Amino acid sequence: MSVEVEVNENDLTEMVDQVWESYLDPEGLNPLMQTYDENQPSDVHSSVSITGSWTGHIVYASSTLAARRAAAAFLAVEPDEVSEEDLSDVLGELANIVGGNVKAMLPPGAFLSLPQVVLAPEATARYPNAQRISGVYGIWDGEPVSISMWHSSTADNNSTKEGAE
Amino acid sequence: MTPMRAMVIDDSRAMRMILKRIVTKLNFEAVEAGDGKEALDLVTAMTEVPELALIDWNMPNMNGLEFVTHVRADPRLREMTLVMVTTESEQSQIVRALAAGAHEYVIKPFTEGAMIEKLALLGLVPTGANS
Repeated sequence: MSVEVEVNENDLTEMVDQVWESYLDPEGLNPLMQTYDENQPSDVHSSVSITGSWTGHIVYASSTLAARRAAAAFLAVEPDEVSEEDLSDVLGELANIVGGNVKAMLPPGAFLSLPQVVLAPEATARYPNAQRISGVYGIWDGEPVSISMWHSSTADNNSTKEGAE
Repeated sequence: MTPMRAMVIDDSRAMRMILKRIVTKLNFEAVEAGDGKEALDLVTAMTEVPELALIDWNMPNMNGLEFVTHVRADPRLREMTLVMVTTESEQSQIVRALAAGAHEYVIKPFTEGAMIEKLALLGLVPTGANS
């Protein structure tokens, strides 16, 4: 059974700000503007799973154009030069970076999976017995981007739901 | 003067590109590997050992910690400076990596400036290379 943890929107926002500062917007010109809309659309998503002292998933989701721009920023190329492989690679790395930093805030004994990337909307994802507990939802350069945290509960199957919503 | 060489080891091509850009800017020749096994195969086949390796932790086939352990067990590779570059940011993980033989630890996400400062602390680039 995993323990209760306190990783809230402020913590996630701080992590996301660091990712933007480091890779996506080093000059501070184009930050992620929060919309607080957890139902905003996405075209693609990536996730890492955490097991051990806490069980759940960290999910990065965005429009295809935002993912393409993120990959372009990482690779220092133009967005139209980004291949599907590059796009998947960067989506996976973004989930990995946020997931790793979330894991650091969890009780000792948590383990991080390698990232999974799905070139389909987050709404198609199925996380058994998982509930969204936190998230950062925003617009980056006019395109939707979200990072959410899902807690899996295996101890109380009756009160949890299966699926993204 | 022969440039120093850096091995960039990460399963993300995008992250390898970022690291490669930084070390190339610092006049290193960069060699890439997508996991610890590939890196170990490359480095053992080299006649001249790279001065620096930047190593992700979570990778398929062979992870970064295993790579560090293998390198430290090989006397021929003892001069390599090993820097973990990873999202594994718990104190216990940092201690494990340093105990295995890593010299420094950089937590993702990192800025270019932060990485250059770490390499300057290790004496691999001149102090102030970041300015």
